[in-house]
Amino acid sequence: MYKLTGVTKLYQKGRHTVPAITGLDLTIADGEWLAVQGRTGHGKSTLLNLLGGLDRPTDGTVELDGIGLGALPEIQLTRFRAEKVGFIFQTFNLIPTLSAAENVETALIPLRVSGADRQARVAAALDSVGLGDRAAHLPSEMSGGQQQRTAIARALVKEPRVVLADEPTGNLDQDTRDDIIALLDQLWRERGLTLVLVTHDTAIARRAQRVGVMSNGRLAIHQATGSATASGGGPSARPPSR
Amino acid sequence: MFFVTYLRRELRRRMRQAIFIALGLALGVGLVVTVAAASAGVKKAESGVLSALYGVGTDVTVTGPAPGPPKPGSTSKANQNDQNNYGIEQGPNGEPEICTSNGKCADAAGKTIDQLTAPYSGISAWKVAEAARRPGVTAAAGGITLTDNTTTFGHSSSSLPQSSSFTLDGVDTSKPSLGPLSSASLTSGHSFTAADADAGVAVVDSGYATSKNLKVGSVLAIDQVTFTVIGIVRQPQASSPPDVYVPVARAEAMSLYAGSLNGEVNTIYVAAASAADIPAVQHEIAKLLPGTTITTEASLASEVTGSVASAAKLANDLGKWLAVLVLIAAFAVASLLTMAAVARRVAEFGTLKAIGWRTRRIVAQVVGESVAMGVTGAAAGVGLGFAGAAIISAVAPTLSATVPGSSAAFSLAAGQAVGPGPAGGVPRSPGSTTSHVVAVPLHPSVTVAVIVLAVILAVAGGLLAGSLGSWRIARLRPADALSRVA
Repeated sequence: MYKLTGVTKLYQKGRHTVPAITGLDLTIADGEWLAVQGRTGHGKSTLLNLLGGLDRPTDGTVELDGIGLGALPEIQLTRFRAEKVGFIFQTFNLIPTLSAAENVETALIPLRVSGADRQARVAAALDSVGLGDRAAHLPSEMSGGQQQRTAIARALVKEPRVVLADEPTGNLDQDTRDDIIALLDQLWRERGLTLVLVTHDTAIARRAQRVGVMSNGRLAIHQATGSATASGGGPSARPPSR
Repeated sequence: MFFVTYLRRELRRRMRQAIFIALGLALGVGLVVTVAAASAGVKKAESGVLSALYGVGTDVTVTGPAPGPPKPGSTSKANQNDQNNYGIEQGPNGEPEICTSNGKCADAAGKTIDQLTAPYSGISAWKVAEAARRPGVTAAAGGITLTDNTTTFGHSSSSLPQSSSFTLDGVDTSKPSLGPLSSASLTSGHSFTAADADAGVAVVDSGYATSKNLKVGSVLAIDQVTFTVIGIVRQPQASSPPDVYVPVARAEAMSLYAGSLNGEVNTIYVAAASAADIPAVQHEIAKLLPGTTITTEASLASEVTGSVASAAKLANDLGKWLAVLVLIAAFAVASLLTMAAVARRVAEFGTLKAIGWRTRRIVAQVVGESVAMGVTGAAAGVGLGFAGAAIISAVAPTLSATVPGSSAAFSLAAGQAVGPGPAGGVPRSPGSTTSHVVAVPLHPSVTVAVIVLAVILAVAGGLLAGSLGSWRIARLRPADALSRVA
């Protein structure tokens, strides 16, 4: 379970200090799907960075299962990201020189998984996102939707507890967007993930259990009425958390 | 292996840049190899000249002072004449006369004068043993340098006298590794052995042997003493070798009889324990033998002039700095391009950091790519170096070395004309020794050490470039890196 207490994140831009998040208190239960909306520059991505251990709060604490991420040494924070968090980016962030399978494999390198095990897990991850036959393709040889599926496979191959998705459908067309969201929904249900998804798309946000709206660095939480809740999802309906 | 796959793919993606960096390093390394090879070739040529001059194994050569004016007692013999002390003077009618020291003169017509002269004054033979006991000295051998001048007068007063000469070295047969024979190669027969110390045997230089039609077994007359030729030797090109070598005891006896040396040697060859000991040995010998001339390889080297010296200077000064500058430029270009590549891959490295790659793993990847380019550059550079050395070898003109006359190399050219002179024969002094020019072919040599150096330099260049890129990666915060993409 995530617990954010009094989190403030300030950025120094030249001589000015700009607050990205101000006094944020938030709890995210294991297996919960939280959608975060808000206008550009109001702190959504900063919140994801703090949750994923990519950044440290200026003030306050970000805890996962009682461990303060902000106080962890860099090496442990790196280990935390390697083991527990899967990232999905709007621009996919695949390595252009590596094939789909090799891109997925990059997530297992820090975990020191043996070669044979790595290959098996990569193949399974690609199968789970419907790209079993595209393993050898380079990103440039795949469509946007396929690239995002590859990125999702990369996020999930390590079997993380948390998936943080930053506008994962922002660069996709309508049909592909629906496919990707359906896939995330399915994986969330199957794997009992904690999913924090930043989106501008209200239709997608409605599928989450809760929706938070970031405005001027503050978060207002609303209970969503979308598919995740309506279909009986949510923390209590999830498989046991790992 | 994932590391290699990633590295290979990345280098393939940046093929042109990778080739450019590798070629830059190759150019620098190739220049270093070429300059080093040329420099080694010049040094080899130079040391060939010096060893020819100096004799392998000899570190210090000591020669006696220049002889003073001829002494009245100086002797030579004229055949058909049993007078011991004489000189050549002009008679009342202008004809040459042979005059003894007691003032009696006789017409020189039809007579032949054989004079054995020493270019250096004598050094007591016991000083050789004394020199051998000095600190830092491992061996010392005495030698005698002489010149045999023969003048034949015609029967008519109008005919010019015919002169010829050859040079003669008395060598210590018990120390073949020291002295003028040490750098010679045997072409037929055999050299001296310790048993030849007082034997009437001679070793002859191949050039002199050819001109006088001498072979092993031939009998050679020197100042009316006969020697049997036991070996023919060839000295390196750069030297002015003596024409004839005889055991030092024989040379001593002849010079004593001729009055040119008083049972002494006039040259001492000294071997030092190590190169570092040479200055100290030089100092010790100077204390032991004041007034003598002490020559070392270093002092001799400084007297070698000509294009070989210019080439050495060129290789050492301009070549070295040019290579260093090109290397620095290659390193700078490689570093800048690597930094630029890292800047373009910020999102990639940020993503890798986000998914849990440790900084050192990413750094290893980038350094690995740079080192791979460095190794490629090294291989190409060594190839370029070989090509450069081959081109120099093919197009470089033959160098020349103007080498000074020295004790070991001291000689007058065979057949040099000797005109009538004062009694005592033709005086020679170190100042009158002949410098001569030798052609030295330049053969650049690429050594294993140079290749190793080239590989180290190129890999160092790659490491430097990779390190600068890595420094940037290490400072990269994943949140910042990813925010530049969004």
